[in-house]
Amino acid sequence: MGLICILLPIIGGIWLLYKKRQTYFVRLVLLLHVLLTGILLFLPDTSWVVWKLTDQLNIVLKTDGLSRIFLAMVSLIWLVVSVYAQDYLEHDENPIRFFAFYLLTLGGLTGLCLAGNFMTLYLFFEAMSLLSVPLVLHTMTREAVAAALKYLIYSIAGASMALIGFFILLHYGSIEFAAGGTLSAAVISEHRDILLAGALFTVVGFGTKAGIFPMHSWLPTAHPVAPAPASAVLSGVITKAGIFAVIRVVYYQFGVELIAGSWVQYVWIILSLISVLMGSTLAFKEQILKKRLAYSSVSQLSYILFGLGTLTPTGFVGAVLHVVCHSVIKNGLFLGAGAVIHQTHKTKVRELDGIGKVMPVTMTCFTICALALVGIPPSGGFVSKWNLIAGSLESGLGLISWLGPVILLVSAVLTAGYLLGISVQAFITGKDKNGAAAGQEVSGRMRNSQMLLAFLAVVLGVFSGPLISYLETIAGGLF
Amino acid sequence: MGNNAWFLMIPILVPLIGGILVSACHMEQRRLRQGFVMATVILNSVFVWAAIFWLQGKEFRLVELSQSMSLTLSLDGLGCVFAGMVAVLWPIASVYAFEYMKHEGGEVRFFKYYTMTYGVTLGVAFSHNLVTMYLFYEMLTLITLPLVMHSKTDAAKAAGRKYLVFSIGGASLAFIGMVFLYHVVGDATFTAGGMMAVQGLAAAKGQNLLTIFVITFIGFGVKAALFPFHGWLPTAGVAPTTVTALLHAVAVVKAGAFAVIRITYYLFGADVLRRTWAQNVVLLLAAFTIVLGSAKALKEQHVKRRLAYSTISNLSYILLGAALMTPLGLQAALTHMIAHAFIKITLFYCAGSIIYKAHYEYVPQMVGLAGRMPVVMGCFTIGSLALMGIPLLPAFISKAGLLTGIVELGTPAAYIGMGALLISAVLTAYYLFSIVIRAYFPGKGFDITSNQDARDPNWLMKGPLILLCIICLLLGLFPGRLLEFFADIAAGLF
Repeated sequence: MGLICILLPIIGGIWLLYKKRQTYFVRLVLLLHVLLTGILLFLPDTSWVVWKLTDQLNIVLKTDGLSRIFLAMVSLIWLVVSVYAQDYLEHDENPIRFFAFYLLTLGGLTGLCLAGNFMTLYLFFEAMSLLSVPLVLHTMTREAVAAALKYLIYSIAGASMALIGFFILLHYGSIEFAAGGTLSAAVISEHRDILLAGALFTVVGFGTKAGIFPMHSWLPTAHPVAPAPASAVLSGVITKAGIFAVIRVVYYQFGVELIAGSWVQYVWIILSLISVLMGSTLAFKEQILKKRLAYSSVSQLSYILFGLGTLTPTGFVGAVLHVVCHSVIKNGLFLGAGAVIHQTHKTKVRELDGIGKVMPVTMTCFTICALALVGIPPSGGFVSKWNLIAGSLESGLGLISWLGPVILLVSAVLTAGYLLGISVQAFITGKDKNGAAAGQEVSGRMRNSQMLLAFLAVVLGVFSGPLISYLETIAGGLF
Repeated sequence: MGNNAWFLMIPILVPLIGGILVSACHMEQRRLRQGFVMATVILNSVFVWAAIFWLQGKEFRLVELSQSMSLTLSLDGLGCVFAGMVAVLWPIASVYAFEYMKHEGGEVRFFKYYTMTYGVTLGVAFSHNLVTMYLFYEMLTLITLPLVMHSKTDAAKAAGRKYLVFSIGGASLAFIGMVFLYHVVGDATFTAGGMMAVQGLAAAKGQNLLTIFVITFIGFGVKAALFPFHGWLPTAGVAPTTVTALLHAVAVVKAGAFAVIRITYYLFGADVLRRTWAQNVVLLLAAFTIVLGSAKALKEQHVKRRLAYSTISNLSYILLGAALMTPLGLQAALTHMIAHAFIKITLFYCAGSIIYKAHYEYVPQMVGLAGRMPVVMGCFTIGSLALMGIPLLPAFISKAGLLTGIVELGTPAAYIGMGALLISAVLTAYYLFSIVIRAYFPGKGFDITSNQDARDPNWLMKGPLILLCIICLLLGLFPGRLLEFFADIAAGLF
């Protein structure tokens, strides 16, 4: 079942490259994917060895609570964004290639979510990185090619760093994922230092995908040059693959026990806090809209990494919740930015005066998402940040457990500044400006995608109860 | 000793005689020559495999030089690995060479030496002691020299000279080791686990022994392009691509790696050397070469030279594995020897096909080539992915072995090696994928008509290429049997 879920988009993508069908075919594949994922959600936990390379190295697929959440999120957002993308790329030179790699990337991501051991995770992590490169260089400008190479190198470098952890685990423990970690107490006490070093390399390595300082600089380069739907999934979903990998490795391999209270935890948290603050500040200063959103991602993703780094159940719940919320919100924001670019070709923030008058739906959705990201109740962002901060206070890390929340709140203020400023500019034109910007609202399908995401951003907050309790069950097994 | 051990001579003699016949009978007619060479090579590969199946553990004494010195052939597990690999690759490579050499000219001369090299390479694999190996090792240098200088241009002659100086220089370093061994130990027969351990001489000769080991390691390492003696390999890239592919990515350079493994595990003995300063020295040299090769490859714009630098880097993966001096390290070294052989020959053949059909030799010229040469670029992509070490492809298995071996050994020098491997993996991705990406995504304003003549080559070139790719994939997917075999070899040594 899981294998079908992975192969479907891959075969679909390859078919698309050769047969050059488009609209209905892509939608059919994605709908089927959502359907299969839906079925997978209700099947019991499984683990299946697909391929045995050697006794230790094999390809394993498994479903558990964590993979369900990520898989559902990925599958749904992919469908929503594809609807938008079809209209967005209407006048594009090569939409087929875009959609082919769009599907292939989904295949890699699905595999990642279903990976049952480190080796499978690494395989699909690399596959996804490589297959998403064409999305970045889609426009084929000199700038895009350079950005794509940068993206490639950072991804591979991150994965290589993560491999250090892989081989340490391969030697000292097992690479199968098991809730709570796989290392025995004897091994931990004997080889503590080397294991900790491995854990740090792995966290930073996979964190590269999520733009953790000092491996963040590819993100604001690569995300904005892609077409808007690609930036949306790159920034909103693919970065989460890094988060997912970090969760798997820390909570299911090295184990909380090893890292809690060690220097690795401090380094991890400090790096993520630096990223939070730096991302927000740079976003605040940035004038190109999509770049601003990319910097915002750097900051928000490190919220999540911070939450994971607290190594508390509450922090974990908050982090995964923020994964889902940020995915929805950031996709909504990028689709909004894309809509503006598509209609008016304006890329800079200060050109957006009065755009809300001509594109009311787009800018309303944008504003709702912006509010949700800032963390205004009852949106999704509020609930997740609440848990993140609570987790930090629970962590008992002394100064940091207080410093963390302060930095998160400062960053929230900055977020309000760099996002709501745009909304204000869009809706309230000053007297001395000649209000009516040129252009008109986007097509119905593009509007619908945006509205759906904005709607979800609010709903996730209002009805977060079931999701939270589900996450708490998962967290219960990990600590 | 069985009385059919003399058969070990056959696979060495057949190509030597065949090669001489090619020029002696003036086989100018292309069909005749190709048929003859093909028949010789295939027949010989059959002999090799027959020997692997039936003659393991047999030995055959050719000449007795003195009481302790003799030229003796034998076949053990390690020899099987090297001989088996060469025997699979040679026929495939020959088919490709038939087509490729059409545009280089001088085919009679080329195929004469090309075929003879096969025999000499097997000689290295079948050597029973250091003297025999030294003999074939020197012969290998001399017999491949005409192949390097094939085009007879000034550049080729200069490259040939450089190749000669480096190789002979390396061999003389190794000669020191040989003399020492005969002087101190009185014998240099390859013994599983090493002579020293057997004779208990390690303790007595401690420091001297280690120095001599390092000298010998570097000496044989010259052929495997170990820093600081790596310079000859990129220069020798002026040879026809078939030579660079088969000899400078597989036969000759791997003979260097093979010799290093022989002296480390079968003469000096891994147990004697492990965790000494000598091990640290060779580990660090290999680690440095790995990074150096990759970095130089990244800077190089000439495709074949880029691949040659990549070979330098990858050969040191093998040396690094050998230098770990653990069963796991040896196993990984052998796995990488095989994996790299198939991958690199694939990459070189792609580069060769591009040179042959489109006459492009530099990286920037390869922009947008995938549309014109889909098969070649497809194979190149698979080769690139494989060399990067993506799981399910062969190099991943060897890297997994290398890195786990490093963690197992756990010395600081080993961890430096780990860093080198990972940095190199990133660089590898960069220097190969910058080609792949530009080939598939030429960029805005690319003139599609610009490389109209470039086409996929005919089946004589395409066939071997696709076959090699398939072997790569199979090696990656079914490594089990091979790894078991390597593990058995390694287990016999400790």
